[in-house]
Amino acid sequence: MIRDALVWCLVVVAALGVAAAVVLSRRAKAIAVNKDRSEAALTQRLSEADGRLATLRAELHQHRTDHAKTIQEAEEAAEDSTKAVLKGSARFLQSLAAEQLALLEEIQRKYGGHSVLGDLLEVGHANAQMARKAQGIAVMCGAPLGRRSRAASVYDVVRSAQGQIRNFRRVEIMQQTGFALKASAVSPVALAVAELLDNAASFSQQGSPIEVTFQRVQKNLCIVIDDAGVGMNDEERQKASALLSGQYRPRLSQLGNQPKFGFPVIGLLSQQYGFRVDVTGVSRYGGVRAVVLLPEELWTEEETAPVEEVQPVIEQPGIPTRPESVARTANGLPRRGARQVPIASVPDQDTVGLPHVTATEDAGRAAGRSLGAFQRGTLSGRNLSAAPSEGSDDT
Amino acid sequence: MSDEPDEDLELTSALVPFFVITNGRSLPPEHAYGHTTLVSASEHAATTVRTLTPEARQVLDLVMDGFLSVAEVAAHTRLPLGVVRILLAEMEESGLIIARKPVPRAERVDREVLNAVLDGLRARFGA
Repeated sequence: MIRDALVWCLVVVAALGVAAAVVLSRRAKAIAVNKDRSEAALTQRLSEADGRLATLRAELHQHRTDHAKTIQEAEEAAEDSTKAVLKGSARFLQSLAAEQLALLEEIQRKYGGHSVLGDLLEVGHANAQMARKAQGIAVMCGAPLGRRSRAASVYDVVRSAQGQIRNFRRVEIMQQTGFALKASAVSPVALAVAELLDNAASFSQQGSPIEVTFQRVQKNLCIVIDDAGVGMNDEERQKASALLSGQYRPRLSQLGNQPKFGFPVIGLLSQQYGFRVDVTGVSRYGGVRAVVLLPEELWTEEETAPVEEVQPVIEQPGIPTRPESVARTANGLPRRGARQVPIASVPDQDTVGLPHVTATEDAGRAAGRSLGAFQRGTLSGRNLSAAPSEGSDDT
Repeated sequence: MSDEPDEDLELTSALVPFFVITNGRSLPPEHAYGHTTLVSASEHAATTVRTLTPEARQVLDLVMDGFLSVAEVAAHTRLPLGVVRILLAEMEESGLIIARKPVPRAERVDREVLNAVLDGLRARFGA
């Protein structure tokens, strides 16, 4: 009996255990299914959110580019209108400066013999500097440069540039060349060299020399400018090269408070007229060596004739123009011959008709005649109402 | 302001301004290098010609063979008189030229002496 009871107990326990296992496994399955379902839902929501995010990102990017574009357009429009305004004024200044230079030259010729000339020369220097600034601004605004109608020697072009900077006496042109720049290149090269000289002068010690030499390298003519300044570091050199080659064109508004026109102006000019400027070299003094490289289209080897001005000679007060009948040398100088006959300022009435006095003439008569001439001279001198300019201070 | 795009500005002033030709030097004193001062190249001037500015060379060419007055030099070079005087002063300093003061005006003879001579002559010859 007891055995039966025990067996039944075991059976019951086993049945309970099986039932519990079945129930547990069912629950586990249900949980797993639930989990899968919720996971799938979550993944879907995640991917939806990702999609939205991507579109939002794209929109943001679009907005950003639009924004940048608008700003750039606005900046360009502002730059253009600034340039347009400035261009007008620059051209006005430019032509006024050119007019003043011409006028001043005339005045300097007119008062060439007067002590005021010293001051006029200084005014001329100030004026030339102003003209350079006006030309620089004009170039930055896209206005054309004032042009020259005649070819000129490279030497003179550099001297023209020299006159456009403040401390022009520091510039030494070490040699002369027979090379001449074509008329179209004269103005731009003069301005570019002037800017380089100004740069050399501002970045080197007062009083140190700035030397200019010329070199012909293959088909190019080089104007070499050496200063004794501190030189440039790599960064400055890189920036200068970018500006000079025209790769980087700064806006007017980027030039800053004390605008540095020099390199941007040179960059524009060199691109426009087809020459090259390099400032990466080191001068023999350890400063900057600037080289203007002129391709053969811009120059000729011809010796320019010494500037034969077309304009008529301006008569200077006090210089009587000489009669053209005077014999002249090859240089156009009056030939001075040895005086063969004494010049009688007072015509001798007795000999006026005679071709010459014969040698056989009585010596006493000759003496008498010269005494007579003396007397006539004195009388005619006294009778002259308006005394001639020479020796007119007495009487 | 006019807005014609290709209205070219022509520069008519001399390419090399006078103050560069004189290299910024000031005028020599008033009495030096007057109109009639005569200048001539010094003996060793010919050897230094290559290093001179074109204007100085032109002046030297002019006075190479003899004396020429300052006024004549100015007229031939077509430079203002003052500019020529500055150039000449510089050239004399570096020994390229010699300047000769104008021959002083014929010596002032005493008027009274002359009158006395005249009176004497009149008395003698009865003119």
